[in-house]
Amino acid sequence: MKLLVIEDEPSLLNSITRYFRQEQFVCEGVSNFTDALRRIEDIAYDCIILDINLPGGSGLQLLQYLREDRKKDGVIILSARDSLDDKIMGLNYGADDYLTKPFHLPELSARVKALLRRKYNEGNAAIPLGELRIDLSARSVLIRDQPVALGRIEYNLLVFLATNKNRVVSQQAIAEHLYDGAADQAPGPEFVYSHIKNLKRKLKEKGCPEMIQSVYGLGYKFVV
Amino acid sequence: MSQSLQQRNTRSLLTWLPLVMLAGSVFLYLILMGHIRHMKHQQLQLKQDNAWRAFARDTLRVPLKLAGEYEIVPGAMGEDGATDSANLSRLAQTHELDGRSYRVTTYISAKEYRHLLIKVSLSEAIIFVLLLLSIVIINRFESRRLWKPFYDTMSAIRGYDIRQSKRLSLGSTTGVREFDRLNETLLELIDNVDRAYRDQKQFTENASHELQTPLAIIRSKVELLAEGPGLNEDSAQLLQEIAEANERLSQMNKNLLLLTRIENGQFPDMQTIEISDLVRRLGDFFKEYYANEGVQTKTDIVAGVTIRANPALIEILVNNLLRNAYIHNIPAGWVDVRLNQTALVIENSGPAIEGDPGQLFDRFRKGRVDNRTTGLGLALVRQIAQLYPFDVGYIYRDGRHQLTVTFA
Repeated sequence: MKLLVIEDEPSLLNSITRYFRQEQFVCEGVSNFTDALRRIEDIAYDCIILDINLPGGSGLQLLQYLREDRKKDGVIILSARDSLDDKIMGLNYGADDYLTKPFHLPELSARVKALLRRKYNEGNAAIPLGELRIDLSARSVLIRDQPVALGRIEYNLLVFLATNKNRVVSQQAIAEHLYDGAADQAPGPEFVYSHIKNLKRKLKEKGCPEMIQSVYGLGYKFVV
Repeated sequence: MSQSLQQRNTRSLLTWLPLVMLAGSVFLYLILMGHIRHMKHQQLQLKQDNAWRAFARDTLRVPLKLAGEYEIVPGAMGEDGATDSANLSRLAQTHELDGRSYRVTTYISAKEYRHLLIKVSLSEAIIFVLLLLSIVIINRFESRRLWKPFYDTMSAIRGYDIRQSKRLSLGSTTGVREFDRLNETLLELIDNVDRAYRDQKQFTENASHELQTPLAIIRSKVELLAEGPGLNEDSAQLLQEIAEANERLSQMNKNLLLLTRIENGQFPDMQTIEISDLVRRLGDFFKEYYANEGVQTKTDIVAGVTIRANPALIEILVNNLLRNAYIHNIPAGWVDVRLNQTALVIENSGPAIEGDPGQLFDRFRKGRVDNRTTGLGLALVRQIAQLYPFDVGYIYRDGRHQLTVTFA
């Protein structure tokens, strides 16, 4: 999968590209408008992560150019502005998703993967994880073809962890992901622990091997 | 106690005018009395002269007495002089004719003069009262007209709210130089204050904006480090503490930015929102999210309740109230959510807050020491409520915290 990250802050650009390269993505990074335009013209990407405020022009102009040229690259907007209007405008310009700064890298990664799944799997997506299988279109979890009954929060938690498999996901990132409001005011991470505990218990009852590990107090890792 | 300008004006008129008028009346009365005495004397003297002249010309034919007019007593002597009784004034004089003395007394009625005096005094009293009334009325009317620009200015200032970015408009030509100057000075003052206020807000917004990027960088670096191969328990602990502090800082910054943006009026669009759906959706989420902690949630939501407001802000308002109810709870506590046409009431169990409940909605005013919260959640609730304006109230009684948002 080919990824382009357009972000003017070098340090943040570096973090993002490094994070994705660790997952076998081919990830390029550019930090200004002209470089970005050249790359977009030359290469078709599976997904573009686009910052709105760029030196030399707006990320929205790039997006406009992409869509006028009927390029199908998936686009996720990154913006420091989190007002609803900006979000709606970004989506109207043809972005596939919108994430506000500051964001969690696992969240960005989950969004990218969800976008790619939508783009290439046309709905009947499933995440196979050894004996465990998550059917995303049916919102069901199966262990050796045995269904596991999970609550909404537990299901979302499992999908999030599985999407970020073999990576450390912090409690804060989990809490923000689980919150389904648009208000950007997620509840605190202090109760993530109890949901993890319940999820682990339910998986274990169905004979699933221990897949969710705690990484010191930093967060959790779904190990396959 | 302060009185209004008009009251004071009327009161001073009503105090001093009657005194001046009373003094004037006494003066007028005395003058009138003097004049009447003089007139009476003149008349008596005239009668005296006429009677005596007529008698002297023809002593036989002219009668010695005419009742109520004169009386001539031959041979009598006495002092000359005037005397007054209730109804009559008399003047007695001694005249001589052919070696004989006559005492002539003339009379006039004093009644008419007394009546005249009474009538004049009465008319004067009526005139004075009318004068007093008309002066007070004209004064009231005139001063109301005269001070109108002042009252206009005052009500304009009273209606002025620096938080609403509406310019204050004051009449520049009131017709009175002093009021024109007053308005000019006030406008200048308010412009200056307004500019300082806007600069301050703009600064906060810019500062919060600029803080977002370094916060995002720190967060991403912490997340990369957490994956690092060199991680051990000790460094993980340090990293965890950095991450927590950074999260709190991010949340605080986000809330501050939001507060400033609300103050700057950046959420102007109003929509009709089905708040019942919103409360149910968020309520369900929180209920599920905190269910593992043994918190019992009870909801009583009337369907189809709508309000007009900004959807993003209302979601924040409901979210913060709910979040507050769960976070400031006790183990195995409860949360009670009620919504009807007039109000959203959220109650929860919990220990009493420390400090003044009246300051609960102030920024950075926390009920108790708690590093999970930013101290801005309820300040945001109030800031949002003020826009529409909804009433926000807080009561604590017997372990129940009750927060109420009343839709106007």
